[in-house]
Parts: sequence; structure tokens; C-alpha cells
Amino acid sequence: MMILGTAFGMVFYLLQVVSGESGYAQNGDFDDAELDDYPFSCYSQLEVDGSQHLLTCTFDDTDVNSTNLEFEICGALLDVKCLTFNKMQEMYFIRTKKFLLIGDSEICVKLKGKKITCRKMNVVKIVKPEAPFDIRVIYREGANDFLVTFNTSHLQKKYVKELLHEVAYRQEKHENDWMHVNLSSTKLALLQRKLQPDAMYEIKVRSIPNHDYFEGFWSEWSPSFHFRTPEITGRMDPILLTISILSFFSVSLMVILACALWKKRIKPIVWPSLPDHKKTLEQLCKKPKKNLNVSFNPESFLDCQIHKVDGIQARDEAEGFLQDTSLPQPEESEKQRLVGGVQSPTWPSEHAVITPKTFRGDSPLGCLAGNVSMCEALVLPSSRPPDFRDGGKNGPHVYQGLLLVPGTTNGPGPTPFPFQSGILTLNPAAQGQPILTSLGSSQEEAYVTMSSFYQNQ
Amino acid sequence: MFHVSFRYIFGIPPLILVLLPVASSDCDIEGKDGREYQHILMISINYLDTMIKNRTNCPNNEPNVFKKHACDDNKEAVFLYRAAHKLKHFVKVNNSEEFNLHLSRVSQGMLQLLNCTPKEDSKSLKEQRKQKSLCFLGILLQKIKTCWNKILRGSKEH
Repeated sequence: MMILGTAFGMVFYLLQVVSGESGYAQNGDFDDAELDDYPFSCYSQLEVDGSQHLLTCTFDDTDVNSTNLEFEICGALLDVKCLTFNKMQEMYFIRTKKFLLIGDSEICVKLKGKKITCRKMNVVKIVKPEAPFDIRVIYREGANDFLVTFNTSHLQKKYVKELLHEVAYRQEKHENDWMHVNLSSTKLALLQRKLQPDAMYEIKVRSIPNHDYFEGFWSEWSPSFHFRTPEITGRMDPILLTISILSFFSVSLMVILACALWKKRIKPIVWPSLPDHKKTLEQLCKKPKKNLNVSFNPESFLDCQIHKVDGIQARDEAEGFLQDTSLPQPEESEKQRLVGGVQSPTWPSEHAVITPKTFRGDSPLGCLAGNVSMCEALVLPSSRPPDFRDGGKNGPHVYQGLLLVPGTTNGPGPTPFPFQSGILTLNPAAQGQPILTSLGSSQEEAYVTMSSFYQNQ
Repeated sequence: MFHVSFRYIFGIPPLILVLLPVASSDCDIEGKDGREYQHILMISINYLDTMIKNRTNCPNNEPNVFKKHACDDNKEAVFLYRAAHKLKHFVKVNNSEEFNLHLSRVSQGMLQLLNCTPKEDSKSLKEQRKQKSLCFLGILLQKIKTCWNKILRGSKEH
């Protein structure tokens, strides 16, 4: 008995195990096994035909034998509890106005009236917009860009109105090299400089709900549009070209003028140099001839020509003449008296001040030819330049007793240096010779010559 | 003295218990953020409103029923619940399919959002059945809009 009972127990045990593996399971187990075999996905399109909506479901596995399979939607429907899908080839769809659009619905796959698999879905969360259409590209030469425009049917819809669009473009010879631009409007400007010149481009657009209530998937791509970018001619705007050439030339001219006139004109104004009195004086003394050597160096007067004189008067007469007379004009005096013609380093108390107002001749300063009035000698009646006393051979030339007779002079004229004593007068009118006139007879009058002035320097 | 304390102990608490259901709201509103109302219900309400104004010329007087059942504070959900039930009575064969669909969408949509325990007294039902004119419907729709705006304003403040 015990053996028999054990045998029966083992048989039943084996039967149960075998029956479990053979697939004769309960309904619940059957549902769990089949649930994964019929995965499906759905999308909705609202107001696709007037106010009618479209719900489409397909099996993810295309090899599924859908001969006896049906789809059904229940919940979130108006005035009805459930609706059955229509089948077209491998696609299940339902076209109705009776979606409530609030709350979840249940979509089930049924086999012979029995629900095989179900999924909870909200119709407003699986929205797939309609594809955009009528995409066009216009080249704007003034703005140097391409205006891309397209149309979408959702602009006239009541529910899904706000969409996010994606524009994709590529150069036709570069496959899979797409550029993407996202926008919420139906116009886009592509800059010309971002595209290759003289190239063929392809462009397309798609949409997705951009809404806080409606969500879903990307629509299908719109039909592509092809366009060609223009060539770059390299031709500049003529007005711009003219302006650029003119400005270049004017700048070049200004630079050249600045370089040329820098030293003479610009620098003295910008950075004026301190005046040098020696040079200024030299400038003031114009050189009538090239071979004139204007200098205040007394040694330069060594080659000055000596005029012939007729006689030498006594010194006393000359002194008396100086005391009595005032400073005569050079043109008045016809007397040419010289007292003492010997060079003397001493400086007498009475000085004859010579104003070499008019000088002619070739000798430096004093021997200047022409009727041009020269630089005026400084007249210091009261001063007595000590250098004159000490002047030796380099001191002023003193002529004593020299008498110049008009017409008898051979040279250009006497030297302009002061006399130690006496008067040296010349008649400028007679021969055009320079005249040395006698000046004030004051003993204290200073006697300054150009050379002493130079020596004081 | 004994009578007074007896009154307070045994009189007031039952009174509170009786009045508590009246004071409290029986409904919960799920769509307080206003998305369902703004994107779905308002579209249907505006459509119905336009259709009613084009078809009828209504007087300005307000029916008395709205004085009894108003969108009072803390009673907005109850009002909308009753209004949603009332809209069902206006779904008729005479109306166009589009009209009926929008009516049903407003009614069922509000009931979907309101989680209320049904409480209808026979008197109010009789009153509701009387009012079936389009003018009443127009006023009712306006009241619904006003009540929803009040709910959304209150939720924004909080």
C-alpha cells in the first residue's frame, strides 16, 4: 500500500510538472506570456479632417500575424464607452469626433473578443502633427540672405496650434551632412555667407507639438526644395570702389606733403627753435653777391681795398671840427678829411662815431656795394668798449688823417671801422662811395662797431 | 443652569455635525492648474456661446435659479458639478452634431475633472428640467466661465 501510494503521488507530481511546461496554464499566465508578443504603438492626429480626429495604431513587430487581432479604445470618449478600430493592411485606425481630449483612455488588443494586451494612453499626449508643405526659398540680394518660408495646416486648427519646426538643409553633394535649425514661426533667413557659393542645396522641414498640454512625436518631413546659391562675382560696388581709391590717394598725398614740408614748414611751427641772434643778424644782412663774405671777424677785412687820398690834415683841425659841428649828414659833407690813418690800439677820448648807414663796396660790412642800406651799427655814445683800447692787431682799423676825395677812390670804399681820432667822411652821391659821417662830438660818446660787438660776444 | 449646560452639551455638537456637510465641499477639482479648461473646455464653451448668440436674442434678466446656486466661495466645485449635469439636458436631437458634441465635451470634461459625490435634491432637479431654453444655456455657460476664472485666480494666488 505504501509503495502504491508513493507511486501514485509521483505520477501526479510528474503530470503536474509536465502539464506546466506544456503550456496548459491559466488565463492569467496565458495573458502574461502573450503580452510581450504584441507590442504596439499609437499616435493621434487632431482635426485632421475638419473636426474629425484620427487615431492610428500598429504593431511594433511587423511579422505579427494580425489576422484575427483587433484594437479597441475605451474611456475619455463622448457619449460612448468604447470604439473599435478599423483595419487597413497592417495598420489599425479610428476616425472620430468623439474624443473627449481630457483624461486617459485604454487601448486594448483583442483576439476573438478577448483582450490580449492593453495600454493606458492619453490621446493628447501622442499627437503627431501633419507634415508642413509648400516650402520655398527666395534669394534677397539686398540683404545677402535666403528667405525660407513654408506653410502648415495647424495654423487654422483650434487645439494643436503651437508647433516647433525643424528646418534641415544640406549641400547636395554632401550626403548626410545636414544642418538643423529650430524655430517656432514659419519664416527663416539663411545668411549667404554661411552657404557655399554656386552650389546646389536641398532643404526640408518637420514639426512637433510645442505645447504645455499637447505632446507627441515629430511629423513626417515636408517635400524637399532645391535651390542654387549665386556666384561671388568679385565686383565691388562702384561707388564704394571710387571712394576707397580717392581716400587712398588723398592719404598718400598727405603723407608725402608731410614728409616734404616737415623740416621747413611743419617742424618750425610744431617745435619752434630758439632764435640765435648771431644767425639772425647774419640773415638780416643780405648778401648782394655771392662772393661777399659777410662776417664780423675783423680779420676778414684785411683784404679791404684802401682808397687813395690826397693829403693828410693835422690832427688838431680835425678835433676842432668835431667839437664845433654836430653830426653831419653823409650827403651834405663834401669834405673828406681824415685825421690820422695809422692803426692805433689806443682809444682817444674823443671818438668819431661812424654810422655806416650806407655802405657800398666789396669789403665786408664796411665795403659793401650798392645803394642798399646795411645793418645799422650800434651807437652807444656813452660807452667805451674797453676792447677797443686793448685791441691790437685785431682791433679796429683806425685811419688818421686819411682824406677821401670823391672820384679819386679806386676801391669800393673805405673800411667801416672806427677812427682813433678824426673824421672820415665820404660823399655817397659823387661816386656812389660809402660815406663815413662824423657823429656827435661828445667825448663820452660810445664808439661801437660791429667788430667790437662781435668781440664782446 | 442645568438646562443651559444640557443645551450646550447635547444641542450644539449635533448641530455642528448636521451643518458640517453643508459647509464643506463634496468635490475635488483636479484641473486647478487650468490647462484642461484653457485648451479644451474654453474652446467648446466659446463655440457654444457664439452659436447661441447667433441664433437667439436673449433678455438681460437672470433666472432665479442662479441666485440659489451660485459660484460662492468654497462652493465652486459644487456649482460646476451641478452646471455640468445641467448641460446634459441640453443635448438634443434638434441640435447639430457639432453643437451636441461641444455640449457633451463641456459637461463630461467638467465631470471628469471634478471628483464629487452625487447629491441632487428633487427640487433642484425639477427646476433644472424646466429651464431648457437656449438663453438659459447661454447664461449658464457664462456662469461656468466666471466660476472657472475664479478657481484659476484662486489657485494662482496660492
